[in-house]
Amino acid sequence: MGKKQGTFKKDCLITAGILGIAALIALFLQQFVSTDTHVPLLFVLAVLFVSRFTDGYLYGIAASVVAVIEVNYIFTYPYFEINFVLAGYSLTFIAMLVVSVIVSALTTQIKQQEQIRLEAEKEKMRGNLLRAVSHDIRTPLTSIVGSASGILDNEEILPRERMLELVKDIKEEAQWLIRIVENLLSVTRINGENAHINTDDEIVEEIVGSAVLKFRKRFPEMEVETAMPEDVLMVPMDGILIEQVIVNLLENSALHGRTTSLIRIIVDKRPGRLLISVEDDGEGIRESVLPVMFDGSLQSREGEEYDSRRNMGIGLSVCMSIVKAHKGNMKAENRSEGGARVTFWLPMEENNGY
Amino acid sequence: MDIKDRVLVVEDDKSIRNFFRTVLEANHYDVLMAGTGAEAHSLITSRCPDVVILDLGLPDMDGLKILKSIREWSGMPVIVVSARTHEKDKVEALDMGADDYITKPFGTSELLARIRTAIRHARAACLAPEGMHTGVFRSGGMEIDYDKHRVYVDGKDVGLTQNEYKIVSLLGRYGGKVLTYDFIIKEIWGPNMRTDNRILRVNMANIRRKIEKNPAQPEYLFTEVGVGYRIVDPD
Repeated sequence: MGKKQGTFKKDCLITAGILGIAALIALFLQQFVSTDTHVPLLFVLAVLFVSRFTDGYLYGIAASVVAVIEVNYIFTYPYFEINFVLAGYSLTFIAMLVVSVIVSALTTQIKQQEQIRLEAEKEKMRGNLLRAVSHDIRTPLTSIVGSASGILDNEEILPRERMLELVKDIKEEAQWLIRIVENLLSVTRINGENAHINTDDEIVEEIVGSAVLKFRKRFPEMEVETAMPEDVLMVPMDGILIEQVIVNLLENSALHGRTTSLIRIIVDKRPGRLLISVEDDGEGIRESVLPVMFDGSLQSREGEEYDSRRNMGIGLSVCMSIVKAHKGNMKAENRSEGGARVTFWLPMEENNGY
Repeated sequence: MDIKDRVLVVEDDKSIRNFFRTVLEANHYDVLMAGTGAEAHSLITSRCPDVVILDLGLPDMDGLKILKSIREWSGMPVIVVSARTHEKDKVEALDMGADDYITKPFGTSELLARIRTAIRHARAACLAPEGMHTGVFRSGGMEIDYDKHRVYVDGKDVGLTQNEYKIVSLLGRYGGKVLTYDFIIKEIWGPNMRTDNRILRVNMANIRRKIEKNPAQPEYLFTEVGVGYRIVDPD
């Protein structure tokens, strides 16, 4: 409410101000110029400015009505009298009113179109994510339903080990779904429009440690090394979200590196920045994928290599939105010695360390 | 005849109840089921379970209300099951007296471990009233000697300061259980301490540097991000 009232007041002031300035200029010119043909044009210009700097049609139209009356009252003979009957003038005024209304309508429309374009952009991103999600959810669900009904329908003839295999598949696919849901939940922690997050000072090693622990539960056979500065680093962040970023990157290394056996997390301190890299000794990232990795569109382009790549799109685009919401950034590259490296950074205070 | 531990499961979803019953009975627990808060209330008072597994999202009342009413008269272990992922809810449940929490979805081994820990704590609390802690906490290479006020790793005194020792021994007393930041701060620095948990965090970081080989991959002291700290289960 308060905000709305504030913009109302502000817009009224802008309107009054611009019309006032136009009137002053007109009065000033009246001293030196004998004709008054410039006056209506001056006010049309004023109306245009009003439309440009206020919200909605209302102020522009109001300004044009005021301008017409003002011009009639002050600047045309008989001065300081409303008189529309003078030959020719009525036409001038009507033309001026129409021009003002159209100008104000047009500028408002342009502003609205800009807004629509932004919305469309956001919609498209949301659409990409949704497509990736439904694609990623449908396959494990198909497998779960299939395996479960396979067991139920063939309970008597299925050999025991076949049945166990199916049950194991069900468990794995369900765990996959859990990961997708966790990622989606993360996105809901970032608050809409301005991507606002609640940050607390977190100790970096705690977040890294917790992420590694979570990852180890899912991939016990994978080796993870960590390297970080000796001093205690406290960096403002949403701990849960950054943990999710690290877990996603670790999982990507394990799943998409294919031949990965060792993953290394490297934490580094730079002036004003905290740098975290996750690198592996796997097969690396295909060059064609590198430029589109973070925009969530990976899924729709793939297809043929579905199994080895799935969720990479969601996982990484979620990482990117989280890091961006922290006002940091992220990049991916292949290491010259083989394997992939994904690095993200977060802003932090210069003098960090205890 | 074996005396089985009795577990009350308060949960409204049918397939999750199925899963609880199967797993718990297979692991030799006596299982009671309640689908609503009202049912839970009557079973808790009439059958005195050894541990309650409480789902926070019930159809007829907020699970936290049940927790509150249990805590008015009993210290029986309560493990809260929550589908809520916001750490704030976990902290709230723990601060209201829940012994532990487990987030949906969870695996059977995790569930059984939590139940064992909760029952063990309840038994230990009966044997040694609070404040009378003596003896030794041992897990892997780490040892907390409550009599000498010392912590050893691989037989060597790690040289903790007074407050650092207080924190570690507090965690040790609740071995395996998550303690919230607020709880630890109140126990160590008293109730008038500012709620800012920075001092605790820095203390923990220093403790980790003395106890853990690699502070980023701890073996003994774990962080539950946004909730608190937990020490490893004792041997």
